[in-house]
Formats: sequence, C-alpha cells, structure tokens
Amino acid sequence: MTDTNTGVGAETRRFDPKLLELLVCPLTKRPLIYDSERQELISRAAQLAYPIRNGIPVMLPDDARTLDDADNAKLRR
Amino acid sequence: MTAQPEIFDRALLRRRKARAALCMAKHAFLLEHVVADLADRLSIMQRRFEIGLDLGAHGTLLSGHVLRTGKIGRMVCAAPIPELCGLADVACIVCDEEALPLAPASLDLVISALSLQLVNDLPGTLVQIRRALKPDGLFLAAMLGGRSLEQLRDAFAKAEIATTGGLSPRVAPFADVRELGQLLQRAGFALPVADADVLEVTYPSAHGLVADLRGMGVSNMLRERRRATMRRATLEAAMAGYARDFGHTGRVPATFEIVTLTGWAPHASQQQPLRPGSARGSLKAAIDGS
Repeated sequence: MTDTNTGVGAETRRFDPKLLELLVCPLTKRPLIYDSERQELISRAAQLAYPIRNGIPVMLPDDARTLDDADNAKLRR
Repeated sequence: MTAQPEIFDRALLRRRKARAALCMAKHAFLLEHVVADLADRLSIMQRRFEIGLDLGAHGTLLSGHVLRTGKIGRMVCAAPIPELCGLADVACIVCDEEALPLAPASLDLVISALSLQLVNDLPGTLVQIRRALKPDGLFLAAMLGGRSLEQLRDAFAKAEIATTGGLSPRVAPFADVRELGQLLQRAGFALPVADADVLEVTYPSAHGLVADLRGMGVSNMLRERRRATMRRATLEAAMAGYARDFGHTGRVPATFEIVTLTGWAPHASQQQPLRPGSARGSLKAAIDGS
C-alpha cells in the first residue's frame, strides 16, 4: 500500500479551501497558508509544509516538509 | 513536548489501520453498534449543529449516520491515515488525535467512535477538542472502557507465565468510566457525563476473537510489548485457557465495555450551579410539603 492510495473515489477528490477556516498547524496552532501550486499547507511558525494528497490535507508533522530559504523568501514577498 | 509516558506506539497504530482498512467491513460489528448508538443520542438533541467533525474516522460510516439524523449541516472526517478517508463527497483531513490541527472555536460538534482509547495523552486531547468547539458546542465520543477484553487479558497472562515463566503486556489498559468523567471535567467541559454500557459477544472459539481484533487493526500496539512473535505454545495455551476458564456451552464470551462521553463547551445559556447559601426556600419545607 502506498501513500497515494486513498481508497474509492480518490481520483475525483479536490482540496476544499473552505477547510482552511477549520485548520491550523497541529504543533503551533497558528494559521496556515494554502499553496495551490505545490498543494501544501504552510505553517510559518513551525517552518513546515503539510502535503495535500489527492485533495486530503495530511496534518502529520512526520509527513511534513521542512521549509527552506527559498520557501521563506517566497513567503516574504 | 510533554513528559507524558508513551503507552501506545502511534506509528504502529497507523500501519495496523492501513493493513486493516481493506477488510474492515468483515470485523466492523463493534463499530456499527457504537455508530448506531451515537447517532441515536444525537437524534434526540434539541438543537442543530452547523459543522461537525468525526475524530478518528473509519471512512464515512459515522458521518453518514450523523448526517441522516438531520441535526447536522455538514461533516468533516478526521482520519488517522488516508486509507480511512472514505468517499469523496465528505471533506476529509488526516491528523493524529494527539496533535489536532483544529482552529479554536471552529466546530459545533466533535464526535468520535472507538478511537480515543488508544491515545497516549487523553487529557491533552480532550483539552484540544474543547478549544476547537464553539461555545455551546457538543463533544460526543464512545471509547472502550476498563472491563473490555478482561478475559483475554487474563488468558494471555496465565498462558505466558506457564509457557515462558514471564509476563509482558498483551492487552491495552483501558480507562475506568469514573476516571473518564473526571477527565471531562478537568478538560473544562460543562455538563459532563460518562456512562458505560457492557456488550457481551460470544465466539465459537477465542481464535475468532483474536481474528476480529486483528481485522479491526487493534492488535497489540503497546510500546512496551514483547517484540518477538508470540510463541505458538503460548498462543495455544492462552486460547485453551480462555475456553477452559470462560467458555460456556461450547462458546466463549468477550466483554466490551463502551464508555460514552458527553460534554459541552461552556456557554452562558447553560444551567449553572447557584452560589452556596443563595437558596431562598428551605429544603425541609420542600420535602415536607410534597
């Protein structure tokens, strides 16, 4: 079983931006920034990017990507 | 982040759930029982909830039942792994019950079926849930309580001592209903209630119970578990001991104690206790007069 297997109907699932009203970073409880291009939810405070896989935000710190300098430069713009 | 003892191996829990997700339906009797009960309790509530969250979702089973009560506007599933997210028509997130990614005062309802018994820091999780609820929001959860699997615990302990001369934890510790009620109060819930319901299930043999537990993805995930595979002799001795000590007319029973927790995020409209000494009538007069 792989990370991308999300069961029946997964192909048609898209991230619902309305979910952003509910979601915060699980570690810092601070708001998240939605990066629609990379399909990530970014927590500046925790310096983590949580992946959105097949429209499902995966809010597990173990699965998140650590932000690099380029990400932070982009966020400052 | 905390100095809480780690009882459960949460990473292993996610792997077990992923393995079990595919054949879950065959072993879902307990979940189906609990889901029907939670939906019943919700259906008699005198209010409507705009947005609810199924914490520790097993697909959309609970969300579907809850939406059919007509009391909920929309549901979001919070599953421990992507494989348990269910169909695309219900919004879904993946999160760990121990670190909730939920904005403060964002939900009217948090409902949970059989997932909170495997959380290491339950007081911490309850506080996070209460903060995620809007004022007067409802938390309604069913989890396994203290008496669950008492026969299996006993059979494993006796068999392991007899065959290996030692003892290792085989069955998870489950919290007592009274402790759970106190935890609700400590977490700041108003009108907290914890009630217990005991479900006796019988199997043709103890092997059937073990197969069901494995099928639910809840076989031993204690951090301090013995890592080597259980010796065949130990398993067989446990299964035989189970039948000998608890068997009745050719079948063996298994106890599941289901504790249901109800608590509300505090709100001024809720009933409040009066200040001591503020009563205007005498209790004696009220009793004598009746």
